[in-house]
Amino acid sequence: MTFSDDRPTMIEFRDVHKYYGDYHALRGINGTIKAGEFFSLLGPSGCGKTTLLRTIAGFEDISSGVVMIDGKDMAGVPPNVRPTNMVFQSYAIFPHMTVAENVGFGLRKDPRSKQEKARAVAEALEMVGLKGFGNRAAHALSGGQRQRVALARALILKPKVLLLDEPLSALDKKMREHMQVELIKLQRQVGITFILVTHDQEEALVMSDRIAVMFEGEIAQLADPETLYRRPNSKKVADFIGTMNFIPAEVLSESGDKVEVEAKGLGRVTIDASAAPAAKGESPVVGLRPETMTLLYDDQKAIERETAGVIDEVIYFGDMTYYDVYLGGTDVEVRLSMRNVPGRPVLDVGEKVRVAWSPSALVLFR
Amino acid sequence: MKKAPILRGFTLAYLLFLYSPIILLPIFAFNDSRVVAFPLTGFTLNWFSEMLGDVNLRNAAKNSLIIALSVASLSTVLGIFAARASVRYSFPGKAPLMGLIMLPLVLPEMIVAMALLVVLLSLNITLSLLTVIIGQTLICTPFAVAILTSAFQSLDRSLEEAAMDLGETQWSTFRLIILPLVMPGILVSFLICFTISFDEFIIANFLGSGQPILSVYIFGQFRFPAKVPSMLALGTVLVLFSIILLGVAEYFRRRGIAKAGGKDTGGFL
Repeated sequence: MTFSDDRPTMIEFRDVHKYYGDYHALRGINGTIKAGEFFSLLGPSGCGKTTLLRTIAGFEDISSGVVMIDGKDMAGVPPNVRPTNMVFQSYAIFPHMTVAENVGFGLRKDPRSKQEKARAVAEALEMVGLKGFGNRAAHALSGGQRQRVALARALILKPKVLLLDEPLSALDKKMREHMQVELIKLQRQVGITFILVTHDQEEALVMSDRIAVMFEGEIAQLADPETLYRRPNSKKVADFIGTMNFIPAEVLSESGDKVEVEAKGLGRVTIDASAAPAAKGESPVVGLRPETMTLLYDDQKAIERETAGVIDEVIYFGDMTYYDVYLGGTDVEVRLSMRNVPGRPVLDVGEKVRVAWSPSALVLFR
Repeated sequence: MKKAPILRGFTLAYLLFLYSPIILLPIFAFNDSRVVAFPLTGFTLNWFSEMLGDVNLRNAAKNSLIIALSVASLSTVLGIFAARASVRYSFPGKAPLMGLIMLPLVLPEMIVAMALLVVLLSLNITLSLLTVIIGQTLICTPFAVAILTSAFQSLDRSLEEAAMDLGETQWSTFRLIILPLVMPGILVSFLICFTISFDEFIIANFLGSGQPILSVYIFGQFRFPAKVPSMLALGTVLVLFSIILLGVAEYFRRRGIAKAGGKDTGGFL
């Protein structure tokens, strides 16, 4: 899953700051995006992810720092000559033009003949699954079709970087999931660097080679999806990506690459230093994902550790059931998820259970 | 909705009172008596032919057309600049500036006309059709700004950005994207300014310096009872003309909305 580091750099941020008056929207962005990478900027609204995307496109001037695209400093380079194209959140389909006129809009100054351009438009439409839609009026399209037109219109110019500003947020759930897969396929097919802005962590995990999680104008963590999910570097990132149980803990001792903690309800645990990101001066907690815990049925035995508990809440999802469980007679409640497979009945509130867990799944935040 | 017979009756009476005088205009324009009173005596087209034969009237109509076309063009062009600036850009002093542009809308026209007259005379500028055009442009520009601001506001900002992203400059973006999309608004602004200017009286009277201008001419003719029927005929033509103009304006407004795939809300017809 990790993205190869030997790819050339496509985009580089060096200490990028952006102010809107007194408001500090980007607070020292550093990082690189590799050529051919599917990269996501993920964060809650107002975190600066769209602003950062727009600095790549050239719609926002930066207050200080450097944005490089393909080795060139982009200071003072207007959007119309940057090697980037954008799919807007509203899709920005020109309403007074047909689908073909929209898709071919960027070819206006292209020296190719009319027929060649028409062929390019037809190919682009076919690529996004809109073959034969060229003569339709743009305003008569559905949301999903608009998005495809916007994609075709951007990709026909063969940009080095395709920027996608929350492209799926206007679609319903089914269509969104469908388009996620289509976008991944499309990106592999064209091999262009895709940069996606999203507030949907699931979308980012599904689609990206690497993700930059942003909070309040800063990149909190830049990593591949698996690292981000399994080894978040702060409580905030852990809380934003998926579901994480936080259990109050006390650090007992620290030696070399091991940290010994006493976690409330779980007992004494040794945690690998790689699962204990740098201390931030917060009160220590250990994080545990719901799917890393299992309820033990009948005479099943835990492979590693086992803790008694009482079910407080049962949330049935069809394929899964979520249980909120009080651990080891304490007031510490954790959520764990179980697949609903045969021979594993859904349990009731108040039942006494045994929870199996593994110390290697724990992350320590302090 | 709850039924309110009193309110409904009041509304009907109000509309009748408001519009029935306009219906009297064509009725007496076709009546073959110089006395404007019931009962009607017979049908005639004399008043229309008398109106068409009047050289002074034709001259006044020509001047009014020149003025109205100029005022509509000027106001709409100024309106485009002002509306674009107010929707798209922020600059120091924007709010008071826009307020000043819109001020003639609420200022008594009489005051505007007198003030302009004093200024023009003290600057030794001879009164002419041009001074009428300048004065009426001042009155019409706020209407143009109001109409065009809503046209520019309904434009999604990312359409412009998309065009620039696809290789267009600011100017070609304006020409290829913005202008076609606000064109219905521009036409509506032009037609409404034209209509306002065409029947404007106070400024035409104060700044026209005796040049024959239709509104002033009509007012003058009403002093002579013999001329009244032909003025009613003229009025009938003007009412028809206004209705056609407003109809055209509304047609373009609706077509603009339909073209952009929007839903029609409101409108004046």
